[in-house]
Amino acid sequence: MASGPRRVVVTGMGAVCALGNDIAQTWAAARDGRGAIAPHLFDPGPNGPAPHTTPVALVNGDIVGLAETTLGRRIGASLDPFALYALLTCHQALTQSGLMGAEVLKTRSAVVLGHGFAGIQTLELSYERFYGQKSARVHPLTVPRVMVSAPVSAVAMEFCVRGPVFAVSSACSSSGHAIAQAAALITSGQVDVALAGGSEAIATPACLRAWEGLQAMSPTTCRPFSRDRDGMVIGEGGGALVLEALDHAEARGAPIIAELAGIGLSSDAFHLTQPSLEGAVSAMTAACAQAGVLDGRPVLISAHGTGTPLNDANEAAAIHAVFEATWKTQPVIATKSAHGHLIGAASVIQGVIGLMALKEAVAPPILNWLGEDPHCDLNLMLAPATPIAARSLLLNAFAFGGLNTALVFTLPD
Amino acid sequence: MAISDDELLDVIAQEALIDRARLVREATLEDIGLDSVDLVSVVFAIEEKYHVEIAEDAFAKTGNLGDFLDTLKAQIEKTKA
Repeated sequence: MASGPRRVVVTGMGAVCALGNDIAQTWAAARDGRGAIAPHLFDPGPNGPAPHTTPVALVNGDIVGLAETTLGRRIGASLDPFALYALLTCHQALTQSGLMGAEVLKTRSAVVLGHGFAGIQTLELSYERFYGQKSARVHPLTVPRVMVSAPVSAVAMEFCVRGPVFAVSSACSSSGHAIAQAAALITSGQVDVALAGGSEAIATPACLRAWEGLQAMSPTTCRPFSRDRDGMVIGEGGGALVLEALDHAEARGAPIIAELAGIGLSSDAFHLTQPSLEGAVSAMTAACAQAGVLDGRPVLISAHGTGTPLNDANEAAAIHAVFEATWKTQPVIATKSAHGHLIGAASVIQGVIGLMALKEAVAPPILNWLGEDPHCDLNLMLAPATPIAARSLLLNAFAFGGLNTALVFTLPD
Repeated sequence: MAISDDELLDVIAQEALIDRARLVREATLEDIGLDSVDLVSVVFAIEEKYHVEIAEDAFAKTGNLGDFLDTLKAQIEKTKA
């Protein structure tokens, strides 16, 4: 064994969300302030209640067709959208990393993806047949399409990954935990490469009603850290990173996007839906301390920033506590205002956008902001896109149930 | 009334998300890219549409799509009878 833990770097990224079906489209829309939240009519069909309209951020276009074109083979109806997003984003990330088809995928690689839910679209259609149409025969592919591990299995089969492959779930922190677990597999020496990230596709008639029942959904749009913010907006899509041992990446001369320099994981052990200051501070402090970025240097903070009254005030207080006097100079972005809340995929999609922001030295603007809230006094990056000097990204995710991840990425020297 | 190729092909195209224009009798299932997972969906949809049950081993000797359609028709007629 080599002395000291192995360092982990990012060598590839992929994104599919309402802002675009690849990284270039997603980043351009985020940077230019072109938000994708819009009202959409959801029709539960003849056996359900009346159709209703609610704001969401939906992936655009024919995703099955896009996946078939991208992968060069037929996919058909065997996968739920949340697995298709995983396939597409992992393909993008592997392509960028230069590892597509590489032997290391078969021998010393992992796939770890996070999802807050599972194949909700498939499940809802199956239950509609069962309860609505009163058919005792449920579609025979329901189970393999719904299972939360369907995306990692599809990715492993597609790219021939034969090492550790599994899904993790922690609601809105799922992909943050997936990245942390994938990194741990590399630092422990079990693998050299890991596809990590997550995906979510829960914009369905009944599931959205379930979210509305929580009283956490905005009837208008997502306004992080704004006065008069009134809740979150569901988005769909996914994101993926190729994580790689630094020594492995250097040996093959791979361009390094960033180093995963700090990981902070914590649990509030407090409440199912309310956040706690201590949990957020604990995760953020651990990640920043490990990365060595608490010395006053500029750190781009990609806030969890859901647009709910409670989360944003709690997160603002946590940023004050962690960065002490320097909080006033730390740029804060909140891109859920553009792509909605991707739940299990929230951390990774924000990570991809945050890493693009570091690379381009520009902060994508917080959208839909109406004015200051004294409980959210932060250095908010509002429109238009602002130049930034930060070389490190703090990526926050605070899930229902009090499960927190904070990740710090730093650009290579 | 006899079941037409067209109505069966419509079900296949819809269930397996395949371009309808590619579904010709001469094509093999491999050409079209219909795998065992797709067949499960197609057979389920046919069973639901025609209220029949199709034997699991019915397609063991299927060569091309034409054979597949003929087998489906025979199975439907057999279980309806």
